[in-house]
Amino acid sequence: MTSIDIDAPGTSQLLVGNEAIARGALEAGVGFAAAYPGTPSSEILGSLAQVAKNAGIYAEWSINEMVAMEAAAGASFAGIRALAAMKQNGINVVSDFLANLVMSGIGKGGLVLVSCDDPSAISSSNEQDTRPIAQWLDIPLVEPGDFQEAKDMTKWLFDLAEELGTLCMLRSVTRIAHARGNVKLGKLPKKQHKAHFDQVHDLKNVMPTTLMPVPSSLRHYFLHVKIDKAREKFESSSFNRYVGPDKADLMVITSGNCWLYSQDAVKALGLENRVGILKLGTLWPMPEKFIRKHLGNSQKILFVEEIDPFLERSVMEIVANLPSSSPRPTFYGKRSGHINAYGELNPNMVIKAISNILLLTYQPRDVEYSKKAEASAKSNVPERSMTFCAGCPHRATFWTIKNAIKLDGRGGIVTGDIGCYSMGLGPAGFFQVRTMHCMGAGAGVANGLGKLGQFGFDQPVLAVVGDSTFYHATIPALINGIYNQSKFILVILDNSATAMTGFQPHPGTGITAMGEPTQAISMEALCRSLGARVEICDPFDLKSTTATLLEMMSEGGGAKVAIMRRQCELLRAKKEKPPYRVYVDTEKCIGEACGCDRLCTRVFLCPGLTWDKKVGKSKIDEVICNGCGVCVDICPQGAIVREAA
Amino acid sequence: MSRNAKGCKELFEEVIDVGLCTLCGACAGGCPYLVYYKGRIALLDNCARMDDAQCYEYCPRTYLDMNEISQKIFGMPYDDGEIGTTQEVLMARSTDSVIRGKAQYGGVVTTLLSLALTEGFIGGAILTKTSDDKTPSPFLAQTVDEMLQCSGSSYMACPVLERYNQIPKDTGGKLGLVAMPCQVLAVAKMKAHPPQNRVSINNVRLVIGLFCTWALSPDKFYQFLEEHLDLSKVKKFDIPPPPANRFDVFTTSDRTSFPLEQVGKFTMPTCAYCLDMTSEFADISVGAAEGIEGWNTVIVRTDTGAKLMKMARQKGKLQVDTLPPASLAHLKEASLLKKKRALKEIVKKSGDMNNLLYVGLSPRFTEKLLA
Amino acid sequence: MTKKRLMRDPLNLIITGVGGQGNVMISLIIGNTFVRDGYFVTIGETYGASQRGGPVMSHVRISKKTQYSPFIPDGCADIILGMEPVETLRMLGRYGNPNVITIINPRPIYSIDVTGGNAEYPDLDKLLETVKELSSQTWVINATEEAQKMGSPMFANAILIGALVGSGVLPLDKKSVGPVLRETFPKEIEANLVAFNKGIKLVRS
Repeated sequence: MTSIDIDAPGTSQLLVGNEAIARGALEAGVGFAAAYPGTPSSEILGSLAQVAKNAGIYAEWSINEMVAMEAAAGASFAGIRALAAMKQNGINVVSDFLANLVMSGIGKGGLVLVSCDDPSAISSSNEQDTRPIAQWLDIPLVEPGDFQEAKDMTKWLFDLAEELGTLCMLRSVTRIAHARGNVKLGKLPKKQHKAHFDQVHDLKNVMPTTLMPVPSSLRHYFLHVKIDKAREKFESSSFNRYVGPDKADLMVITSGNCWLYSQDAVKALGLENRVGILKLGTLWPMPEKFIRKHLGNSQKILFVEEIDPFLERSVMEIVANLPSSSPRPTFYGKRSGHINAYGELNPNMVIKAISNILLLTYQPRDVEYSKKAEASAKSNVPERSMTFCAGCPHRATFWTIKNAIKLDGRGGIVTGDIGCYSMGLGPAGFFQVRTMHCMGAGAGVANGLGKLGQFGFDQPVLAVVGDSTFYHATIPALINGIYNQSKFILVILDNSATAMTGFQPHPGTGITAMGEPTQAISMEALCRSLGARVEICDPFDLKSTTATLLEMMSEGGGAKVAIMRRQCELLRAKKEKPPYRVYVDTEKCIGEACGCDRLCTRVFLCPGLTWDKKVGKSKIDEVICNGCGVCVDICPQGAIVREAA
Repeated sequence: MSRNAKGCKELFEEVIDVGLCTLCGACAGGCPYLVYYKGRIALLDNCARMDDAQCYEYCPRTYLDMNEISQKIFGMPYDDGEIGTTQEVLMARSTDSVIRGKAQYGGVVTTLLSLALTEGFIGGAILTKTSDDKTPSPFLAQTVDEMLQCSGSSYMACPVLERYNQIPKDTGGKLGLVAMPCQVLAVAKMKAHPPQNRVSINNVRLVIGLFCTWALSPDKFYQFLEEHLDLSKVKKFDIPPPPANRFDVFTTSDRTSFPLEQVGKFTMPTCAYCLDMTSEFADISVGAAEGIEGWNTVIVRTDTGAKLMKMARQKGKLQVDTLPPASLAHLKEASLLKKKRALKEIVKKSGDMNNLLYVGLSPRFTEKLLA
Repeated sequence: MTKKRLMRDPLNLIITGVGGQGNVMISLIIGNTFVRDGYFVTIGETYGASQRGGPVMSHVRISKKTQYSPFIPDGCADIILGMEPVETLRMLGRYGNPNVITIINPRPIYSIDVTGGNAEYPDLDKLLETVKELSSQTWVINATEEAQKMGSPMFANAILIGALVGSGVLPLDKKSVGPVLRETFPKEIEANLVAFNKGIKLVRS
C-alpha cells in the first residue's frame, strides 16, 4: 500500500487525511513526533512511526498527550521540528502545558500541534470543538478544507511556527482525518538538523531563548506581538479564498470539511451563479481585512462549520467593530438554527439550510420512490448495536463482574473508563458500567465512592480500566486509593493492546511505536510495589474469576487490584488459528423447553451465537465465531460443545 | 386453582423482598438465574418467562391450596387438626449405638434413611451436611457412611431443594429427601403439579420431614458464631429442652452456651408466618420427643411411611414405643400455638382478615385459629 | 488508461456492511485504481468504534473534474455494493433512487438486537424482492458462500470486487485493478485473484 514516504513528487496519491498530515510533516523535515492513540488522530503518528526508521526521524507513542506535547516541545527547544497529535480530549489534557508554552515560546525547531475533533462523538465520550483554545490561549490556528490542504498546511505550519516563535495548531475532524482523497506529493527533504539546546540569553529578540514563562505579563505582550504578525501573514494566505459571483444572493462562510459540503450543496442546487462561498483556512487570528473585504458580497450570510459557532462568533466580532454606516447583512448559522449546533454536519444539512434561506425546494429523488424506500427501510431494518467482538475477553470479564455483583447482593457499582470496554455501559457488557467520563476518570470516581463508608455507603465499588488507560492516567488514582485507604477494586482489563484505536503498543507490551523491543513495564509488579493486593485472573475461567472478585469484594481495606489478563481476540486472530471449533449439539439443546429463556443469545449476547428460528434452537454462526469456547460454560444443558481445533 | 402469569419478578416482589423467603431452595438451581449464595437467593439475570415460571409456582410462600395439596398426598381434604393428617404417632429410637452417638436425639432419621438405602427403596438422599465454615449445605448422600456424616442439626436454613433442582433432567433413580416443613410443602406442590423439563418429581420416593419452630439465618448466625468462637473446633449444636433456655455449641474440648434469646435474634423473619411445625405433608415426620432424652417423636402419615416404619421395626433397626399421652398433648398444643401465632402475624402483615397472604385455608379453620 | 467514461460525474458508490467484513479494503482498492487513472476520488468512511459489530458504510465519490466531499447526499447513490442484506436496504432507504444499481451479498449477519430478541430479522426472500424493486438493476452474488467453499469467508471481498468490475458499471477492468489487488493483498494474492475472477464470472452468469 502507499507509504507516506514514497519518493514521487508531483504524483497524485489517494491518502487518508491523517496520512496527508503526516506526509506534510515529513516534507517539512519533521524530526520528532509524539502522540497518544485517540480516534480520529491515531494514524498521524501511526503512519510516521511506520516510516520513521527509513526516514531517519523519531516517532513515539507517549504514555499520554501531556507527555507527548511536552516531549515534542523539548525537541523544538533543541532545534528539531516537532509534531504532537491528539484527539479533542488530548487538548484538554495538554491545556495547562499549552498555557505556559505560549508564554515561553518555542525553540528553533518549529512546533506543530494537530488536534482532531470527533463531531457526533462517533468514537468518543464527548463532542467538543477544540478551535476555541486557539482564541483562549492565543495560538495561530488553521483548518484544512480538503486532503491537499491537510498536507500543504501542515508543511507550512512548521515554517510559520519558526517565523513567529510560537507553536501553531491545525484542527481537523473525522471527515478529513479518516476520509481519503487526492494529494499531490511534494519533495522530501534530504537531511535532518543537528539537535542542540541553545544556552544564549537574548532579551531583545521577539523570540526569547530563555524558555520560561516568567515574567508572565511581559511574555504575554510578546505573545500578542506574535499574533499580530500571524494575522498579517494570514491576510495574504492562499488558504483563504472566495468562490462565486461578485454579488451573491447568499454567501456561505465556512472552513474545513464544510468547504467540501458547501460546494456539494451549491452544485446539487445548481446555484453556482447565485451563491458564493468564502472559504477560510486560517482561523485564528482572523484575517480581518480579508473578511471585511468580502462582507459586502451578499446581504445574506450563512456560517457552515463543525460543532461550535467559532467562525460565527469571530466574524460577528469583526462586524461589531465596523463603522455604523456599513451595511449589516442578515446572518444565519447555529445561532439562527439553520445549521445544527450539535452533531456532525453533512451536505444534506447545508442543502436544507440554503434552500430554506433562499426559499427553494429540493427534491433529490422521485417522491414516490422516496416514500417507498424510507418505509421499507424503517419496517425491515433492525438496529445494529455495537458489541464486543466474538471471543473478546471483555465479554467474559463483564459476565464475571455481573455475577459477582449479583451474588454479593449489596448493589455493587462499576465505574468505567475509555476504551472498547466502554461498551460495558450497554447490553454488550450487561449494563454493568454506571459512570463514564474521560481517561482515568473511572478510578478517580471510585476513589470518592470508596470513602463514603462513614455515610452509610456499603455498595462494593469496582473501577474497570484498560491496560493502556492504566498506564495513561490511572496510576496516580491508584496511589491515591492506597494512600487514602479508599475501598475499591481496580479491575484492569489487560488485553495487551490499545485496542479501540487500532492496537497501538503501550508500556506494558514491550514494543515501541517504531517496532523496537523495549522494557515492558509489568503492571502487577508496579501495583504490588505500591503495596496493593494484586490478583491475576483469566476472565475465560468464569468460575474462578467470579470467586476471586467475590472474595475481594468482601474484604475491607483500601484499593486493591484485579488484573483480567487475556489477549484481545483481534490481536490473537492475527497470529493464530482459533483455539476451538465450537458448535451446538442439537440433541442436547432443547430450545425454549430449557427454561433458560435463551440465555445464550438473549443474555450472553455474543454475536457468534444466533437463534435458528426454524428449529427453535441455538446455532453458532461460523463466520462470526472466533472459537474462544467461553459460551460452552454458559449453557445450562451443556449443549454447546468445543473441540480443540 | 389460579395459575396466574407470574414470574421471578413477582417472586421477589411477593416473597423474597418482603421477608417471606425460607431459603428452601425450591426456586433455585432449576435455571441459570436463581442461585443460593450465603444466606440469600440471588438473581443473576432477568428471565422473561411468565407462563410456566416454576420458580414462582413451587415456592412454599406463594399461594398454597391446602386442600389440593392434601388431596394429592393423602387423597383427602386438608385435616384442620393440630398436626395434620396422621396414620400413627409414636416414639422411637435407633438400635444402633453409633447412629445414636452421632445423631441429634434418637437417630431415627439416619436409621430410616440407611434402611431405605440398603433395601433399595432409594438410591440416594439429599441431606444437609455441615461444611467447613459450619454452615449447612445440601449434599447428595449415596452411601450409608455419607448419610451418617449428615447427622445432626445445624438449626440454620439450608436450600436443600436447590440441589434437587440441579439433578440433570433425564436422570432416573429413586431419591429420598430430609426436609423442613417449608421444603416439604414445596415438594408437595411439585407432586400436585409436576415440574416440566426437569428431573422428574416421581423420582422422589421418600420425604422425611422434620419438626421445626424456627430456623436461623445462615449468614447472620454464621457471623455471630465467627465473632465468638473458633469455628474450626465446633463439632455439634444443640438446644436442650426447656427449662434450659440455652443454645449449646459443642467443640472438640468443651461446650459453650448462649442464652436462647440471644440466638433467637437470628431467626429468619419468615418463620413468624409459618403454620407448619410438624412437616404435615411428609411421608414420615420426625422430631424430638420432648422431655424424653434420646428418643424421637415419629408421625407416620402415608402408606410409604408406614411401609418403611414396619420394615424398620421388623428388622430390629428401631426401638418403638407409644408416645405418652402427655407428650402427644403437648406436641399438639405447641403445633396449634404456632398456627395461631402465624395466622395472627399474617393478618397483621396483610392488614386484612380476609387476606391470608399465601395461605389457602378454610374460613372455618381460619376463624378457629384467630379466635 | 481506460477508454470508458464514468456514467455520471461525480459517480457515487456506496459500499456497506458490518464492521469486520473488510468493507474498507474494497473502497481502497477501487479508489486507488481510479486515482492512478487520473480521477479525483474521495472516500468517506464510518469506522473506529463502529468496527465492533456496528454498521460500516463507505462513500466513494469519483470525478474527473474536482474533489467532492466524503458524504454522498441523500438520494444520490449511483451504485450500492451491499455486503450484508439489511445494511443494503438501510442504504437504499436513505441514498437510493430509481436509477441506483445494486450488487448484494445475501448472507445475513445478525445483530445482537436480533439475537437478543429485541428485533426481528426480516424474511430474506422478501428483503431481496424489496431490494430489486428499489433498484434499476440488481445482482445477487453469493460471495460468502463461494468464499467459504474456497476456505475462508474473507475471500468474499475479492469476489465482490470482481463482481463490481465484471458488471461494467464502473469504467474499470482486470488490467487496471490487477496491480492494485496485488499490492493490497500481499498474503494469499493468488487465492484472492482466483476469488476476484470468480466474482467476475458470477456477475456475468
